[in-house]
Amino acid sequence: MLSYEYIKTGDLQEAFKLLESREHVYPLAGGTDLIVGMRGGKFVPELILDLKDIEEFKVLTEDNKGITIGALVTLNEICQFKPVVDNIPILAEGCHSVGSYMIRNRATIAGNICNASPAADTSAPLYCLDAVVNIIGSGGSRTVPVDEFFNGPGQNALNKGELVQSVTVLKPYPEGKGVYFKASRTGSVDLATVGVAVQSWGDRVKVAVGAVAPTPVRALSVENAVNEYGEKDWSKAAALVNNDISPITDLRGSREYRYHIVEVLVRRGLEQTMGV
Amino acid sequence: MSELKCVGKAVTRKDAIEKVTGSAEFIEDRFLGPLLYAKMKKSTVAHGKIKKLDLSKALKHPGVKTVLTGKDYKNKIGLYLVDRDFMAVDKVRFWGEPVALVVASTEKAAAEAVELIEVDYEELPGVFDPFEALKPEAPLIHEELGSYEVVPIFYPKAGTNVANHFKLRKGDTEKGFAEADIVIEKEYYVPQMQHVPIETHKAAAHWSPDGKLTVWSTAQSPNVVRQLLAKAFEMPMHKIRVISSYIGGGFGCKAGASLEGLVVPVAQKFPGYVVRIVFNREEDMQGTFTRQALYSTLKTGVRKDGRITALEYKMIWDGGAYTEYGVNIVRAAGYSSSGAYDIPNVKTDSYCVYTNNSIGGPVRGFGMCEMQWGIERQIDYIARELNMDPLEVRLINGMKKGSTTASGQVVHDVDYEKCLKTVADQIGWGKKEQPEKGKLRGKGIAGLVKCPAQPSNAASSAIIRINEDGTAHVMIGATEMGQGMLTAISQIASEALNIPIEKIDIKVPDTDFTPYEWQSVGSRITYTCGTSVKRAAEDALGQIYYIAANLLEVPVEDLTFDGKIVYSTKDPEIKATIREVADSCKKCTGEGIAGPIIGKGSFVPKNMTNLDPETGQGNPGMFYCFGATGVEVEVDIETGVIKVLQLATSIDAGKAINPQLCTVQLHGGTIMGLSTALYEDVRFDKGVMLNRNFTDYKIASIDNTPHIESFIIETPETNGPYGARGIGEQPMIGVAPAVANAVCDALGVEFNTFPLTPERVWRALKEKK
Repeated sequence: MLSYEYIKTGDLQEAFKLLESREHVYPLAGGTDLIVGMRGGKFVPELILDLKDIEEFKVLTEDNKGITIGALVTLNEICQFKPVVDNIPILAEGCHSVGSYMIRNRATIAGNICNASPAADTSAPLYCLDAVVNIIGSGGSRTVPVDEFFNGPGQNALNKGELVQSVTVLKPYPEGKGVYFKASRTGSVDLATVGVAVQSWGDRVKVAVGAVAPTPVRALSVENAVNEYGEKDWSKAAALVNNDISPITDLRGSREYRYHIVEVLVRRGLEQTMGV
Repeated sequence: MSELKCVGKAVTRKDAIEKVTGSAEFIEDRFLGPLLYAKMKKSTVAHGKIKKLDLSKALKHPGVKTVLTGKDYKNKIGLYLVDRDFMAVDKVRFWGEPVALVVASTEKAAAEAVELIEVDYEELPGVFDPFEALKPEAPLIHEELGSYEVVPIFYPKAGTNVANHFKLRKGDTEKGFAEADIVIEKEYYVPQMQHVPIETHKAAAHWSPDGKLTVWSTAQSPNVVRQLLAKAFEMPMHKIRVISSYIGGGFGCKAGASLEGLVVPVAQKFPGYVVRIVFNREEDMQGTFTRQALYSTLKTGVRKDGRITALEYKMIWDGGAYTEYGVNIVRAAGYSSSGAYDIPNVKTDSYCVYTNNSIGGPVRGFGMCEMQWGIERQIDYIARELNMDPLEVRLINGMKKGSTTASGQVVHDVDYEKCLKTVADQIGWGKKEQPEKGKLRGKGIAGLVKCPAQPSNAASSAIIRINEDGTAHVMIGATEMGQGMLTAISQIASEALNIPIEKIDIKVPDTDFTPYEWQSVGSRITYTCGTSVKRAAEDALGQIYYIAANLLEVPVEDLTFDGKIVYSTKDPEIKATIREVADSCKKCTGEGIAGPIIGKGSFVPKNMTNLDPETGQGNPGMFYCFGATGVEVEVDIETGVIKVLQLATSIDAGKAINPQLCTVQLHGGTIMGLSTALYEDVRFDKGVMLNRNFTDYKIASIDNTPHIESFIIETPETNGPYGARGIGEQPMIGVAPAVANAVCDALGVEFNTFPLTPERVWRALKEKK
């Protein structure tokens, strides 16, 4: 039904020009959110800018800085990348819980965070890993921490003319176990009703939760209790998550159930990563 | 019966190669040629008068050929109660009801023009709860109900919102309750759900200058579409041709006629064009049939020994804005209201109530899933109250040969006990398994029964043409929507003709060429169409023998046919090939004996009767198909997540014409039932359907489908072809109550509604504390 222009370019400079050439330009990587949003009338593009030929965005490497995942790397590629599986398996778990296998064959981590859904399954693991987002535009490059990238539902930190080039998980990697738990209606091919990531770093922990606030959030109350006050009763620590969130009621679950389930999943996460 | 050669074998699907290679044609593949695109303007209020409907801007939009409103259609449409306008006339009765139809040379132009139509409504108070709709002061949804044409087995009440009141009185319930040691009364609620076939509703129409109308449709019944269009547009049937193709799933939503009529007047206005209308997913969810919600009260009297002495069943159905088809679901649930049990005294009142929700209509099970949810939950309440085994209570009361249904019909050819025991054995009934920490386990069982819900004279017919080389064409009016009908019917033809199945061709219907079939609904086709085909095959075979007897100059009784050669049993050297017999057979003198062989067969049930209007007593069932479902679950008591550990289903198919296809049907029905048990319900907010896409309306996917153990039981149906009865809908019916019974066994918490979402389970557990 829609009428729009479509341009594919492998040239980054041309891409920047095109980004500023119209008011409503939508970059296309995996397209799994874009196409659905266009069909539903959420996105009305004048131009779709296909990035799939941009070599700079295809990087998937580990170096002395850490692991860098280019904007065009698919979720399935991330799940199978050995440095991710060996060092930060929590991210593979998050990637693996998005949609279906077919969706993950196309969907990218950059798309998942640019869509800026508070329920984005890769987000809570990225928050726990203190990942950074590498942004590039005609004016140059900048890097922002992932928790500053999410501004609200559907709102990210990109300015007009900017693109996400990659996401980097910096060294040192966590020394300890990490888990991502997702509560959903059907348990597969579904959005998160609540997503919980818990990552231990020695005797410290990082906890991030999704779908319980306008953006993913770190459960700092829980982290403080464990890390600063030495709370070892995981039930008590998990109950503090309620201070960090402001869930809503929607078709996927009520506010009350979200309060309940997030606490259960945080406690389970602490048990599994910090020991019972 | 001699040994069967083709029936009972796992023959490969007739449509397998076409479907796996992607060459199978679905109806949209057949919309060829100069095309026009139709798009609907939909109501934004659930109940209101149309004060202004301004089409002027839309008509001026480039590419727009015409815009129609409800007033462009002379008559209403409806299968049983003629209550539905093609599009709203003067008032709208549900949110999303079509108020205008834009037709343009491109889909884009049509969609743009839809936005240019200006509609003003005077909103009327909406009624979204059937109990509100039943109140005397409730706003009337159909002021003209008393003047609607209705098949006289339905009882709408003029001046109210009651579209049908089905009454059933069997025995004496007062006496039955007096005989009981305990009386249990419970309320149940079953929400609306959607069919979600993979292919949405689609249709196209073409008008020839000679006045011939051709319609392409995804409908489950081309013949009923033709019948309803003939009536609505006052046309003779030979001037209407309805073409079917492979259908991507029906499940009842494509029964009757839905969108076909919308494009007919447009086609008439623009002869030569193919005018198409294709629903997107949201339109399909919101604008076609929805399973009616059921609010029910069940009161049961039981003796201490577990025998049920009386049942009072009150059913209030949310029929939605139009109930042209829904009135019959209400009737079917009423006459079947004792479920799979022989209860001597039954009093049932089943009401179909208009509301301003989406249109209610047929869904796999046709009222049985909703009605037997209450029955099968109630049996578990009874067992708990009496401290008896729920399986035992089912066996004590379950129907046996010679039992009577709620409508007093005597059932034959029944082995319900075997159905129950089979699934019980499979899931290790009576043995409690050790759950994981933080989890509880339970087992549940539910029985089921269903007869086809159809008019007592719903007919079927078949033609078999024998080609000159002895191969055959089977022509029927049934549709192929994935259920495997083409294969099963070919197997029956092959068996009866004694011609190998590879030599039999069969196609989906085209009303200009294929003979009449009422509808491909109600799990009836194997039985009705199968009987017609068997008769047609026997007719053709009789002709083969007759012609061969003439040719070979031996008595017919001496002949036998092995699929290739007709020969004398007395002297096998006296023989003729099928080719000699079938190809304009002539004697050695050159004199002709017979022309081409055409076998014909038709069928109408002889064992059904009307029901008494006051007592509902009579014979509504062509056959009764029984079955059972057994489930073991493990419930996470913190999250409320239910994991199905074991799922077993048994269905008494009478005779499985194709056991592999039967098993697949058992799987499909069981998954569909499980999906409703755990996930599915349509959410409304004052008539606005909130979850009308697959992000918001969730169904089971392969990831959450457990292994299913399927058992086909074969108690032959005396009048069925080779003993077969239909099994298409049945596997769905027992799943939701079996799951709930298992969850209840695990948690000690009762559920009188579903889906059993994690949140619902969590809330129930919280309340228990």
